[in-house]
Amino acid sequence: MQRGTTRKFSTTPGTRDILPPESTRLLDVQARILERFRLHGFREIITPTLEYSEVVEEPKLRDASFKLFDPDNQMLLLRPEMTTPIARLVTQRLRNAPTPHKLSYALPVYRRTGVGRGQSAEFHQAGVEVVGSTSPGEDAGTIALLIETLESLGLRAPRDFVLVLGQAAFYEGYLRRVAPEVASELLEALAAKDLVRVDEISADVTVEAAGLREIPRLVGPATDASVLERATRYAEGRAAEGEAAAALDNLRNILAYLHAGGGHLDSVMLDLGLIGRHNYYTGAVYEVYAAGLGFTVANGGRYDNLLRRFGEPLPATGFAISLERLISVLPKEEPSPLLVLVGGTIEAIRLAAELRSSGVPVLHLAEDLAPVTAVGYACSVEASWVGYPAPDGLELAPAEPGGRFEITATEKVLGRLLS
Amino acid sequence: MSGLRVAVPKGAIFEDALAALDGAGLPVDVLREDGRQLFYRAEGAEFIVTRPSDVPVFVEHGAADVGIVGKDVLEEQRPNVMELRDLGTGVCRMILAAPRERAEEVQRAISHAEVVRAATKFPDTARRYFASLGRQAEIIELHGAVELAPLVGLSECIVDLAATGNTLRENDLVVLDEISRSTARLIANRGAYRLRHGEVSALLDAIHGSLNG
Repeated sequence: MQRGTTRKFSTTPGTRDILPPESTRLLDVQARILERFRLHGFREIITPTLEYSEVVEEPKLRDASFKLFDPDNQMLLLRPEMTTPIARLVTQRLRNAPTPHKLSYALPVYRRTGVGRGQSAEFHQAGVEVVGSTSPGEDAGTIALLIETLESLGLRAPRDFVLVLGQAAFYEGYLRRVAPEVASELLEALAAKDLVRVDEISADVTVEAAGLREIPRLVGPATDASVLERATRYAEGRAAEGEAAAALDNLRNILAYLHAGGGHLDSVMLDLGLIGRHNYYTGAVYEVYAAGLGFTVANGGRYDNLLRRFGEPLPATGFAISLERLISVLPKEEPSPLLVLVGGTIEAIRLAAELRSSGVPVLHLAEDLAPVTAVGYACSVEASWVGYPAPDGLELAPAEPGGRFEITATEKVLGRLLS
Repeated sequence: MSGLRVAVPKGAIFEDALAALDGAGLPVDVLREDGRQLFYRAEGAEFIVTRPSDVPVFVEHGAADVGIVGKDVLEEQRPNVMELRDLGTGVCRMILAAPRERAEEVQRAISHAEVVRAATKFPDTARRYFASLGRQAEIIELHGAVELAPLVGLSECIVDLAATGNTLRENDLVVLDEISRSTARLIANRGAYRLRHGEVSALLDAIHGSLNG
């Protein structure tokens, strides 16, 4: 190394190498999620990591994106999310295919750290998008799929997680009707989650409009009818014919579909102050929170205007799960059993093949190692068993210090590994 | 009453925060018993005592469910938390100040869009303030005793918090502009606000009752 130069061999800020068992867990959870998505007929797509910068319009996402220039001096960015690239893909590649398109993905996305407080520059998202339908049944369907996915991974609502559901058009519709002069100011304050500012702006409004400060505070379980009852008051009178009433009907329909689709209502909490983190949300909008984690595990919603930019005015709805955050709240699982088979003989190779064909995962070390060394190795790769070839099967011991070796017949190995 | 974990700031608004929580029926007496502790467990609530600028960090990450912190800190950090209630206490002003004998000179430099050096503990607030005026400044970030900077020539002016104005007077600094006013706020973690909505709203109602009663 030359004197005075520091060679950068670490990973770049916000990125990391992911090693076993974490990497195994990540891929395993990802596979199970995609399997669940397939059960609902969603088909996976893969888009390029790089997109032209014009593709992403949302200011916060553009700001958070890594940018670079191609040889033609065009600005590119590393995709900061998947919803917009899928919108682009649908309008370009699936233009003549019948709708709705039900697409899924599980891919890494990239954001500059420190922008919007993100700690990771690269993280994994798995999600679905339904493009080409305005039906609240599709909103309810994706919400139900999200809840089912979380439950299939061992989370229980409301003990472990809750899905918070809002309707971006309700408050906005009410404001446009009742107090249009302060509407954008109030929406900005609410997007910043600043209810104090909402109160301050509302206090200056002279017309009788209690909903200005009350609607953002309507929060409660979806099973509790009083939240929607209170909301209904603000969709009557002057606001009756407007978007607010339609938004509330839409929310009621979604809840009815959710109820019919398998009683997912226990997992849902209504929050009419939730309007979504991105400007592109136009209707139902939701976030999943898990006990013990201060951040959202998943979020989604309806975005009926996003595809218009790409020349196809198709309505759409979908969600994204943040895999690293999800895994941090999943119940711990025992790693699947692995046997380290030690021995450099032909017999050992034959035995390894035989065991694998009967369903035993085998890591074969073609060397003659002492038991202590072999157990140490097995622990380092998180194998649970160590074995040596023996005349009628193998000598098998649990991979722990002082584990006792016992002769086990080949056909009984799987049973012992799983016991 | 709640079982919530509350982040309480040390320093200027500590007593105001305790009074608000006390009024809401939280067992804050434990916090007065032993001033050196950082974490207190009491019947029905837990308390973290930390620097004001760390309160939003604990709350944003969910290590505390709710917290009390000045608006000045929220303006500076812009954390992703729910801002629920203005407690009306801990009133102070974010000000632009300069030494008396150079005040006019600094004012003139700013109005001519010259670059002035401003020392501050609130660099983002200072940057946004000068940008909103269409003026330019070199921001020098310090972590304490900001009023020292113009006295020794580190900067021409300061952007800092003033509650009583005593520190300004002692150092012969005069206020050139008031940037904003700040009061103590009750903030909540986004998840706790929903997952523990019953407890958080009970706390809000109790604080509301005690502020208005």
